[in-house]
Amino acid sequence: MVAPPLPGPDGGNCGRRWQRHAGGLRWGQRGQPDYLGWGPARCRGTAPAGETRQGGTLTYVTAEEPETLNPYLTQLVVGFDILSLFMESLLEADDQGQYGPRLAESYEAAADGLTYTFTLRTGVKWHDGSDFTAQDVVESYNMIMNPDFGAFSQQGWDKITGAETPDDHTVVFSLDQVYAPFIANVGGAYIAPASALAKGIQSFKEEFGREPFGTGPFRFVEWASGDHITAQANADYWQGAPKLEQIVCKFVPNSNTIAVQLKSGEADLAAYVDAQQFDTYQAIEDKQVIETDSQAWFHLDLKNIDFLMEKPVRQALDFATPKQDIIDKILKGHATISVADVAPISWAYNPNIKPRPYDLEQAKKLLDEAGWTPGPDGIRQKDGKRMQLELWGIAGDQQNQQILQVIAASWKQIGVQADLKFQDIKTLWGPEGYQFTETPTACGYSWFNGNDPDDSFYWHSSQIPDSPTGSGGNLPAYFHPYDMQDQIDELTERGVATIDQEERKKIYWQIQELLHEYVPVIFIYWNKLIFVSPKRLQGFKPNAFTPLFHNVHEWAYRA
Amino acid sequence: MLRYTAQRLLGAIPLILGISVISFVFMQLAPGGPDAMFARNGRMSDEQLAAIRRNMGLDKPVPVQYLHWLKNLLRGDLGTSYVQNRPVTRIILERLPNTLILVGAGLGLALVLALAFGVLAAVRQYSLFDHAVNAVAFFGLAMPVFWFGLMLQLFFGVRLGVLPTAGMHATGETGALDLLKHLVLPAFTLGIGSIAGWSRYVRSSLLEVIHKDYIRTARAKGVRERVVLLRHALRNALIPFVTVVGIDIPLYAVGAVVTETVFAWPGMGRLFYDSLAARDYPVQMGILVLSAFAIILGNLVADLLYAILDPRIKYG
Repeated sequence: MVAPPLPGPDGGNCGRRWQRHAGGLRWGQRGQPDYLGWGPARCRGTAPAGETRQGGTLTYVTAEEPETLNPYLTQLVVGFDILSLFMESLLEADDQGQYGPRLAESYEAAADGLTYTFTLRTGVKWHDGSDFTAQDVVESYNMIMNPDFGAFSQQGWDKITGAETPDDHTVVFSLDQVYAPFIANVGGAYIAPASALAKGIQSFKEEFGREPFGTGPFRFVEWASGDHITAQANADYWQGAPKLEQIVCKFVPNSNTIAVQLKSGEADLAAYVDAQQFDTYQAIEDKQVIETDSQAWFHLDLKNIDFLMEKPVRQALDFATPKQDIIDKILKGHATISVADVAPISWAYNPNIKPRPYDLEQAKKLLDEAGWTPGPDGIRQKDGKRMQLELWGIAGDQQNQQILQVIAASWKQIGVQADLKFQDIKTLWGPEGYQFTETPTACGYSWFNGNDPDDSFYWHSSQIPDSPTGSGGNLPAYFHPYDMQDQIDELTERGVATIDQEERKKIYWQIQELLHEYVPVIFIYWNKLIFVSPKRLQGFKPNAFTPLFHNVHEWAYRA
Repeated sequence: MLRYTAQRLLGAIPLILGISVISFVFMQLAPGGPDAMFARNGRMSDEQLAAIRRNMGLDKPVPVQYLHWLKNLLRGDLGTSYVQNRPVTRIILERLPNTLILVGAGLGLALVLALAFGVLAAVRQYSLFDHAVNAVAFFGLAMPVFWFGLMLQLFFGVRLGVLPTAGMHATGETGALDLLKHLVLPAFTLGIGSIAGWSRYVRSSLLEVIHKDYIRTARAKGVRERVVLLRHALRNALIPFVTVVGIDIPLYAVGAVVTETVFAWPGMGRLFYDSLAARDYPVQMGILVLSAFAIILGNLVADLLYAILDPRIKYG
């Protein structure tokens, strides 16, 4: 869910709460419903720095197994996380989301925003011993854009109109339009070795996807299907040999079993554990729990149809949603209230917007004024129409269900009837999903932002699917465009066409104000990411913008 | 008997075809579809989406897709996974032995313990042991697998620290002893339900036989009690038991899904569950057809066993 590309709805297989992460977490750009995101680390009980020792094995336990380790085909966060052991990108985000050097020493954007020049690091070697050169970057670009390959995302790369390599360590990309998210999309993508790409699409998909290699701090050793992936320290790593000797990524689909393994000492590290299990992990003697902010926002989308098209109605529902209560009671405080779609940790966040308070009287007043008055059964009505909607959630996800029950009960108090319905994630976002029925609906799930604040995916009219099988993320507007559609179209277009960060910030501030005013969806909270790690592990610094192992070469056990 | 076996195997062909048609249709009827998530993937254009559907073969009508799948099956090709981009045959073959090990161990454990408990309970009817077995049987039947597995993990793995809690091997280990240690808890968890049910079955079936005339005759002739019990009584009591076991074996495949999940066992049950969630049609179809074949084979073996246990039953 971090750096590079790909939004999409998600939330996991979600057959059961403890499998919540299964099948689901993607690395996101703008827009994927998900539970998780990243944020600057706020550590609890971090071990004091001290002497570290060379060597040791770290066992990372995760509920999900990557479907493939091909960097351009995997859709799962865990795929991107594990790949960060082996592969690297040209640039890397810091804990503020600003991009700095990694495989590229530096980059230069032309003043017109139409040319990007990357200067590559020299002396970097692939795990097979060959040199890292500009050819690798260009061949990676060619593969991603090859229609027969079917990359999961071409975002950013599809804006490139020319790729040149004046010398072995310089790549010049030309664009035909200004596209501000270019640096996050292209700079943050893993670069694949030209030698593997040269073996053709089939081999790259199948063989490289099972046995990847790169320039990173660890070398791939083996992948036992359904069981584990082993990585061995790369002694020739260009930033210096890692201190840890071996990392084992173990696949344990059940969250209770994960807890047992951390307790018994069979596993050392876990990522994105449930907020409700925070205290359980805190109690394990040799482990510490680290909490970071994320870029994932839980919200209710409101289908733009019928009475939900009335702005006062949407605002009333916002007033009647007990956000702080949900955070305190269901998430045990491990979340922060949200007002719009830009995370408080992002440079584009607008700190001036205050959330609507939980105020049932205000909500009732708005509905009264809009002509919706309580009927004989207590449910509001207007012109013979009852204020009734379906409230959808993810089947098997208990946390999600608890939240929706609380909301339905609260809305009942202002005379709105919400009927709870649950379905699995693939059905919810498939062509038979709730979005394509002509009934008023709301649905609770998380979208997961990428590192660039571009949010056209959620709101722009071009993202409204043509048909239930069509592509696009702006599903609530399927039947009718938003009342603020023209404004948000104009703003999101300007957002990607502006290079200057201060200028862009102003645009995204306006977007956030617009979203707060019009309530196209009800923003509820920002998730937290919760990690469990050994107390004696040093250097583990997760953040919202980079994959799990981004600085793994600095990790070490205390002596 | 050989002819009978051949007939049954031939008869299985239309059965498997039928099962594959039904599976294929139901799979397609399930809402969502493998391309659903791609459609909600930011910035995927309609053209890219169409290319992905073409790649998956989803652009063709369902009957054409089925015939295409069947044609490949006859050539021994189960297709390529939508999400793993690898041949389904290879994916299944990686997992199949693991499931066989787990199911074999669970089944073996359940058979041995159920027979022992059942016989002892029958011989000492209404004794303390009988009541104890009864109580344990109800517990075994009533208790949810995921809870029982967790309790075992907490007790043997965390409290006592004598057994590994999950997985098939410790890091870097490949030995048989290591495998055996990892196998104990999941095999017991998988078998516990049947130990309970089957031991009750053996008990009542043996009690029924024990009061028959030929047993009384055997005893009157002065045959030793041990021989009466094991050779005369148990053998006849086993025939209905074999039927029950034959019917229950497919349930083991179902039980294995939960057990494999709780104990992170890299088996086929988990693979099937994941493929359902991902709408990975080729993997689903491969596992379904293979399971159908296994069930048919299991029933056939049970039928053949009758003839061995009871000389009066003859096929052919």
